[in-house]
Amino acid sequence: MSSLKSMSALHGIVSPGRYGKQDGEPGVVASERRDIGLATIAARKGHEADLTAAVKAAYGAVLPSGPGSAVGPGVRFIGIGPGQWFAVSETLANEALADDLAERLKGLASVADHSSGRAIIRLEGPEVRAVLAKGLALDLDPRVFGDGAAATSTIGHMGALLWRDGEAYDIALFRSVGGSFWGWLRSAAAAFGLEVVTTS
Amino acid sequence: MAGRQTNRLRGHGLVDQGTTVSFRFDGQQLTGHPGDTLASALLANGIRLVGRSFKYHRPRGILTAGSEEPNALVELRQGARREPNTRATTIELYDGLEAASQNRWPSLKADLLSLNQLAAPLLGAGFYYKTFMWPAAFWEKLYEPMIRRAAGLGYPSKQADPDSYEKTNAFCDVLVIGAGPAGLSAALAAAKAGARVILCDEDFALGGRLLSERGDVDGESGAPGRRPRRPNSSPPDCRILRRTTVFGAYDGGVYAAVERVSDHLPVPPEHAPRQRLWRIVAKQAIVCAGAFERPIVFGDNDRPGVMLAGAVRTYVNRFGVAPGQNAVIFADNDAALRTATDLADAGLTVQAIVDPRPQGSAAAEQVAAGTGALYLRGVIEKVRGAHGVRVVGVRDNQGGTRTIKCDLLAISGGWNPALNLTTHLGGKPRWDDSRACLVPGDLPAGMRVAGAAVGEVSTEACLASGEAAGAGAARDCGFSPSAPSRPAPDRQIAPATPVWQVETGRGKAFVDSQNDVAVSDVKLAAREGFRVPDHVKRYTTLGMATDQGKTSNLNGAAILAEATGRYLGAVGSTTFRPPYTPVSIGALAGHHRGTDFRPTRLTPSHRWAEEQGAVFVEVGMWMRALMFPRPEESAQETVNREVANTRAHVGVCDVSTLGKIDVQGTDAAAFLDKVYINGFSKLAVGKARYGLMLREDGFAMDDGTTARLAEDHFYMTTTTANAVRVSQHLEFCQEVLWPELDVQTVSATEQWAQYAVAGPNARAVIAALLDSGQDISNDAFPYMACGTFKICGGVPARLFRLSFSGELAYEIGVPARYGDGLIRAIMDAGAAHGIAPYGTEALGVMRIEKGHAAGPELNGQTTAHDLGLGRMMSKKKDFVGRFLGEREALNEPARAALVGLKPLDPKVRVSAGAHLVPKGADAVAANDQGYVTSQAYSPELKSFVALAMLSNGPARHGEVLKVCDPLRGSETLAEVCSPHFVDPDGERLRV
Amino acid sequence: MRITCPYCGERALDEFTYRGDATVKRPDSLDENTAEAWVDYVYLRDNPAGPHKELWHHGAGCHAWLEVTRDTVTHEILDVAFARKGC
Ligand SMILES: [Zn+2]
Repeated sequence: MSSLKSMSALHGIVSPGRYGKQDGEPGVVASERRDIGLATIAARKGHEADLTAAVKAAYGAVLPSGPGSAVGPGVRFIGIGPGQWFAVSETLANEALADDLAERLKGLASVADHSSGRAIIRLEGPEVRAVLAKGLALDLDPRVFGDGAAATSTIGHMGALLWRDGEAYDIALFRSVGGSFWGWLRSAAAAFGLEVVTTS
Repeated sequence: MAGRQTNRLRGHGLVDQGTTVSFRFDGQQLTGHPGDTLASALLANGIRLVGRSFKYHRPRGILTAGSEEPNALVELRQGARREPNTRATTIELYDGLEAASQNRWPSLKADLLSLNQLAAPLLGAGFYYKTFMWPAAFWEKLYEPMIRRAAGLGYPSKQADPDSYEKTNAFCDVLVIGAGPAGLSAALAAAKAGARVILCDEDFALGGRLLSERGDVDGESGAPGRRPRRPNSSPPDCRILRRTTVFGAYDGGVYAAVERVSDHLPVPPEHAPRQRLWRIVAKQAIVCAGAFERPIVFGDNDRPGVMLAGAVRTYVNRFGVAPGQNAVIFADNDAALRTATDLADAGLTVQAIVDPRPQGSAAAEQVAAGTGALYLRGVIEKVRGAHGVRVVGVRDNQGGTRTIKCDLLAISGGWNPALNLTTHLGGKPRWDDSRACLVPGDLPAGMRVAGAAVGEVSTEACLASGEAAGAGAARDCGFSPSAPSRPAPDRQIAPATPVWQVETGRGKAFVDSQNDVAVSDVKLAAREGFRVPDHVKRYTTLGMATDQGKTSNLNGAAILAEATGRYLGAVGSTTFRPPYTPVSIGALAGHHRGTDFRPTRLTPSHRWAEEQGAVFVEVGMWMRALMFPRPEESAQETVNREVANTRAHVGVCDVSTLGKIDVQGTDAAAFLDKVYINGFSKLAVGKARYGLMLREDGFAMDDGTTARLAEDHFYMTTTTANAVRVSQHLEFCQEVLWPELDVQTVSATEQWAQYAVAGPNARAVIAALLDSGQDISNDAFPYMACGTFKICGGVPARLFRLSFSGELAYEIGVPARYGDGLIRAIMDAGAAHGIAPYGTEALGVMRIEKGHAAGPELNGQTTAHDLGLGRMMSKKKDFVGRFLGEREALNEPARAALVGLKPLDPKVRVSAGAHLVPKGADAVAANDQGYVTSQAYSPELKSFVALAMLSNGPARHGEVLKVCDPLRGSETLAEVCSPHFVDPDGERLRV
Repeated sequence: MRITCPYCGERALDEFTYRGDATVKRPDSLDENTAEAWVDYVYLRDNPAGPHKELWHHGAGCHAWLEVTRDTVTHEILDVAFARKGC
């Protein structure tokens, strides 16, 4: 057991509670998804097909060719660019996901760990799209941005990877802007009421 | 005591006359009703004089009932919320509203500055340009302050705005701009077809002219106030934004709009912004912005009580206010006759209808008879009444003159389509001779125009053209609209016979009353050679300021056309640019102001640094610890202590902000050979190397160390400031220059918390963190080694034996979630070894003492040669910058190259930015031989030291030069020396 | 202005950064007889009025370098493709 304390990206920045409008149901519910595995995989040149097959065999998911999600048992692969994916896993926590991917996809993909480098914020609630619209120039209409859809863009001038998981929107942000993002979210959601809950 | 609403028409209009709200204007307590604008409420209280004009301080009233208002500008609210130049005609009345007139001193009625009027002959077009030219020194001290006091509009609050603003994005199939008959009809047609629709209107009520006119729509009163019938089918997808002005059209179907969320309230409700900026992306847009009525220009036409005829109907029909009791109508079109009818039906007196059309009008004669008014064929040639119309002088077309007592002069010179948005992308309006107005010309892709904005006149035509546009837009979005329900209206309209101005000898005839531009000014400009409306605008100011000439541009163009003997259709108009109406800076900034101006990046141990009392500095978006002052310490003492402690014992510095890039692939080494001037293929696994990158033009771009973690895996560092730029450059090299290489790069900056542990005791500190069985002795882990270790009970760490300080040093990185834990563990482990944290200031001192180039030296003007790194440039391989970097001129000794400088007096600071001239030479550009890039106090040398770029520098060690800093007024002598002030042979870092 | 990234879809202009002419070709730096070609490549640019192939970087999105065909007169985007061929 390590003697170093592990701290999530929003540790000490966001506390559970109600923010903004106090009465009524909260328009947005926010939570930090902590200790999950995050990694990028980039196909080695000429190994794209092998990589797809290997991911299918190892993780039961077919790598999407565009900005969408493929979900296998315990891991989600999100397209972030040509030949590049962002992998998210709760079962392979923290650094374990990148280690596992590097092992299983050796020679087929370059794997980099981002489990510490991103904050993952989950936003849900009836006003989540109205709140995100204040910082994100993407059409989130369900007819356009359905379950599993993903996009790399900016929210309030902060780089973000966003994907839809059922009715929830998960946002991967750079760890260093966690405080600024929280400031933006708190202000954008104030009129609707924001509830922050912890998940772990 | 509250004034009585003497001019309120009881039972008339759409305002809620059952509820009374009170407000103040220039301190006077007044009342109005919900649904009023400030303008309608002032008129209801019999107040016609609301401001003084820009240049001549002439009394001014209310000309319009909309956002095109040139005159009725007031300061709204008080204190921090005071807002100048708001249009009384668009301010929604609320209980407790406070407004004040502008441009008057000491009071509106007795304005001493109106003496400017007496000087009017001196204040013509180009006056500022001509008069205040010389002497130049007078401008700043005398002319400008004088002009600023006398001219100008209102005054903004100098306090910080207490309210919040926000921005938001929206996407739709069809954006409908304007909710008059055409816009409502267009939105309905598009939404019924299944399109996602956004409907915006700048007004707080939907309906546009329907609110102002009497008349039926589909057998019902056109005026809302009645609930629209609910559709039977599923609700259409239509977002309606009231109080929202679409102010700009941009490329790709992007529209900007500002929603005045809380401007109609005393203060914004909790959590609500004052205004919201919308960025709307629309597949199709329909401009239904209506039309502006245009005045006829005549002498003293700016008197309060002179009002556009359509605005008179708005005040009577919508607001239930009589703008006057005795009216004269002066119009060149039959549409304005409705004003006479509506006034008469409201029980007001119409004294006369003055018709300037040569052929007259039977309809006008009939209306005159019906309303008991005189029908006079002629023109208004003068207006009397200093603070409001009392008498007008009519000259009939037989040459006879008469005067008529009246308190309202309703004027109309026809209508100009509000086509502004159609020209924001460069489209040119087209002159329509039969309508005598500019109509939209070529439209941007995806834009339609309907209703009065395209020159339609009747309500039926507006409804039909809106429906057709709405259906067409929906069809272009892939929907199948049903067949139009409205028959295309009869387009037969009588050709207009516009009257632009009345030639009169007396009284200033104002074209642009906001800027006090008179007919004489336009004529003067024409005489002086100005022929293009945009030039005349700059010279005379016609069409400038808050209204951008919405009621004056075309009259101005017509007068210019006449003065230059040209056809008006060939003269054209000024160019309209966004914004359509003024937009507050707050709305444009939204959330991003103050500390939220831009995002801030914090390192994983930021909180720890705060606890240590760190002072921070912004580097890019990062906050970095500048220093860790102790009580009673000066900044210099802090830095000296941090440097001395590191050199004597051990220090720790957060270097997490350095750019870190993960480079992998079978061709990763070959790729690095191409981006660095020096080679990386032969770098052994487990070793790191310093590398310099050039731009393709041969100048230095960035530097850093790159470590080889595996045969096909490198870990590159960049400077903090250039991290993003280097990433982008690497991606360019991968994708565009050498796509055949198998290499993948990704930023790892955020993943790793990284600390430099430097000083003679650094090894002991690092060793204390390592899990057992790992060896970092000098033999096992020498200078420039790198490797992966386990620390503090199994935490994976990357260790690099790198030194920026020149001491025995390591950089240790852990996943950022352990960053806070690691800095605390380092401090604990180092306590016994005298550890203290150091900030970027001490880091900078140590790198200057070692002569390492950094940002000030990598300034975009230096080459590898200049930085003393010329020998690193490989001759054998291709790399970015190789060819042009080899240019003779970039390698000649006379170029300024890196040297050290030691002031002869060690206590004298050599300032960065100072220039170097030979000792005894004058501090003039001709003698310039180089410049100081970085300076610091070296605790080790007990002297100020500096780095400089000096012509032929490396050959001049020992020479004494004059260091001149004319900006700060200092000159000092310094000796040129090696830039390696401390441990020049690098013995310390290899122990 | 909006650019349709072949990977991400239609995005606002502020997600992209402009580099310049996409038609210039980097000469061989090891061939000493390419001096003029290098000056051309690094410094000299045509300034056509009309369709022009340009390099843009989708820095706020997929990080791909794109070859954008833009009408410099109307700002109309006529075509967008990955700069890396075969993507
Ligand atoms: Zn993209």
